[in-house]
Amino acid sequence: MDQFLQALASGLLLGGFYAVMVLGFSIIWGVMGVINLAHGEFRMIGAYAAWALFRAFGLDPFASLVIILPVMFVVGYALQTILLNRVVERPHLMALLVTFGVSISLANLYKVIYSADPRSVPVSYNGSFELFGVTMPIVKTIIFFLALLIMGLLHTFLHHTRLGKSIRAAAQNKDAARIVGIEIHKVYAITAGICIALTAGAGAMLSPTQAIFPFMGPPFTLKAFTITALGGLGRIPGALLGGLLLGVTELMVATYVPGIGTNLGVAVSFVLLVVILIVRPQGLLGGLRPMEVE
Amino acid sequence: MNSQQPLLEGRDVYKFFGGLAAVNGVDFAVYPGEIVGLIGPNGSGKTTLFDCLTRLQTIDKGQIFFKGQEITRVRPYQVARMGLARTFQVIRVYRKMTVLENMLISRQWRGEGLLNMLRPSHPDTERRARHLIQFLQLEHLTDELAGHLSGGQRRLLEIGMALMPDPDILLLDEATSGINPTLIEIIKDRIRTLNREQGKTFLLIEHNINFIADLCSRVYVLNFGEKLAEGTPEEIMENEAVIEAYFGA
Amino acid sequence: MSTLTQAARPSLLRRWGGLLLWLLLLALLAIYPYTGVTGSALFTATQVFVLVTLASNWNLIGGMTGYVDFGHAVFFGLGAYSMGILVTRVPLAFSPELSFWQALPLAGLVAALFALIIGLPTLRLKGPYFSIAMLGTFVAMREIIRILRPITGGGTGLDLPPVLNRVNEYYFMLGLMGLVVALIWWIRRSEFGYTLIAIREDEIGAEMRGINTTMHKIIAFMIAAFFTGIVGAFWAWQNTYIDPDVVFIEQRTVEMVMMSMLGGLGTVWGPPLGAVVIYFLQDVVWGNLLNFHLMALGILLILLVLFLPEGILGSLGDPSSTSLGRLLRRAGRRQE
Repeated sequence: MDQFLQALASGLLLGGFYAVMVLGFSIIWGVMGVINLAHGEFRMIGAYAAWALFRAFGLDPFASLVIILPVMFVVGYALQTILLNRVVERPHLMALLVTFGVSISLANLYKVIYSADPRSVPVSYNGSFELFGVTMPIVKTIIFFLALLIMGLLHTFLHHTRLGKSIRAAAQNKDAARIVGIEIHKVYAITAGICIALTAGAGAMLSPTQAIFPFMGPPFTLKAFTITALGGLGRIPGALLGGLLLGVTELMVATYVPGIGTNLGVAVSFVLLVVILIVRPQGLLGGLRPMEVE
Repeated sequence: MNSQQPLLEGRDVYKFFGGLAAVNGVDFAVYPGEIVGLIGPNGSGKTTLFDCLTRLQTIDKGQIFFKGQEITRVRPYQVARMGLARTFQVIRVYRKMTVLENMLISRQWRGEGLLNMLRPSHPDTERRARHLIQFLQLEHLTDELAGHLSGGQRRLLEIGMALMPDPDILLLDEATSGINPTLIEIIKDRIRTLNREQGKTFLLIEHNINFIADLCSRVYVLNFGEKLAEGTPEEIMENEAVIEAYFGA
Repeated sequence: MSTLTQAARPSLLRRWGGLLLWLLLLALLAIYPYTGVTGSALFTATQVFVLVTLASNWNLIGGMTGYVDFGHAVFFGLGAYSMGILVTRVPLAFSPELSFWQALPLAGLVAALFALIIGLPTLRLKGPYFSIAMLGTFVAMREIIRILRPITGGGTGLDLPPVLNRVNEYYFMLGLMGLVVALIWWIRRSEFGYTLIAIREDEIGAEMRGINTTMHKIIAFMIAAFFTGIVGAFWAWQNTYIDPDVVFIEQRTVEMVMMSMLGGLGTVWGPPLGAVVIYFLQDVVWGNLLNFHLMALGILLILLVLFLPEGILGSLGDPSSTSLGRLLRRAGRRQE
């Protein structure tokens, strides 16, 4: 029972992180129909940025968000303006290939800059505390609650601001949005900016708990895809639910299937993904129907 | 009025999209050698019914029979090979292939062995394709890319593709929409020829009432997914429920 | 039916010319080792043959059938590991040991069988969903190989006894490449090939016209996997060492995709052409940029998509269909 509770708690904490990590992927997909294969790389960039700032100035990873978020917003805005806006209205494959190219370029650029050696960010509070006999890692607990906060803020932004409403309008009907005077490519660029900033921010937040290396990206892209398939496209509650589901599933498998370890996380999420895609191609909660943002 | 076994039959067919019944308990039969019309206002479920009959959509309730055999769960390609061919409201031709290649794709099936498939098209298949291209008066376009054809020529090509496997029944979905009157006359004439000389059965979705009146012996009228009326074109045109559905009261 | 005019058939040369040229080229390449070249020149040529073969295989499923496989290297990896396991593990359990030639077709079959198993569910997925599912298959397989330590050696990998030399490596890959490209050429002009392209252009339409789309896709996928597996098996022997990180690298899939795209998706001669061009580009880039070559590859992919989506051959065929073509035409108009 203790073992079960531990796996459940760890799974939920992991799921909270997954939820915030997947938002950027899910919203880009939901709003402009682009599957961003470089998603994991932006998370990697965020983690490296946190590491570099920690090393150079002793800046705490959570504090470094103040720098990382605006910088990565600009990066995302530029990426959309320079590359993705040229392919969003072409066949799906084009955008897929472009982001694939971005993914390879970034991973290898970082390999050249930082070498393939794993890095870590040893923060002082990287311990854990006991709660009802369950071990709770401090950093992951902070992330979990931050994730909830971020999702709340994002939900408010999308529903109660003019810009947020433009983004949702663009997602639901591009042409109609255009007719009412929304500059679609600019809305896309802002969306990409927000999403990439969020993704890099998620990477920075998790940097104290995981090894950082140039090729950490692709498994996360895959997980993002799985979570989106679980929870639905561009839906914030869906991202949370999908993230929690995947987190708990992974931890349960790692706990109860002997001799496997956490390495199989990717395999688990893949199996989940293929099963969902085949059994319910519209996504577990019907969210892969194009294209709503809630 | 027809004591034979129906060639194509739908019994109590239902198809739902979400909570909406696109086809709502329709009974339906086409007998060998008939030309049957299927009419109804926009959104009345005509094309959905077509999709159900050809297995493009899986029905939620009811049964579909073709040549006396139940095909409710049979895969679409198998239904096609049993002798059912159709055209589409939104034309489906291969734009990057030539007219001839389009015809060859819809070939008469001649075995599935890998060695068979690895051969180029059989000379008989090609001969048949060229003959049909001529029959539909497209011979000057044989080697033209289908993407370069006019809308009407593409409709004709699609009918040709449907004829390639020598089907027993052809389902034509709005064969005359967006087509100039000369080509409509050609299509009408070809349908009549195929029906009289080769005994082919037709089921036509149409908005063009004259076309229906000239060709069809029986007409079904759909409205809101339900069968509103059934009868000869003359009866239908005098049916008050039909007039009301079309023009409102 | 009797009034049918016997239309002019394309001349014999047009029908068979491509294959004849290919055989001629193969014959010339067969003489190459006798011209007193060094072993490293033969090695280079063999690498090019490997790339041409991989690109042509990928093109069968990705280009002709339109199922863009982002994890095709999984079949390469399975071939390599089948070879490694068959020659190093199996003999311990059952002697006598298997030779290279005995293990080779088995490695191909393992890859093809896996294509059947994974293809039945994934080939039902459309567009990007298939691509991602295959990428997932690839990543998951790498982890599985890592975990199955008793069989695969895990992260430590497997050592294979060296048996091949540069000359027989060269001839083996020359033969395999010759066979694969000729097969693709044959498929392209067969009914099977037409059907694959019909599936790419409009799968529902193909199904509604009596084509068993599932079976065609699976067969194309299995053929592409079989030969990719054989190349992987060969590579394992040539390299004499395999571990998950040298066998399952994303770069291999990227190369297959890019070479096909550069040359022209779905064409017979495009992928081989693209493979040669990219190999020499890499060679040049390698010489000057060292570590940046993969990054350059990624950037090249982006540029390709933006400016030359139909590939070299596709653009030659119809210049108006590419951005580059439009650009050139616009420039031409401005000059008038």
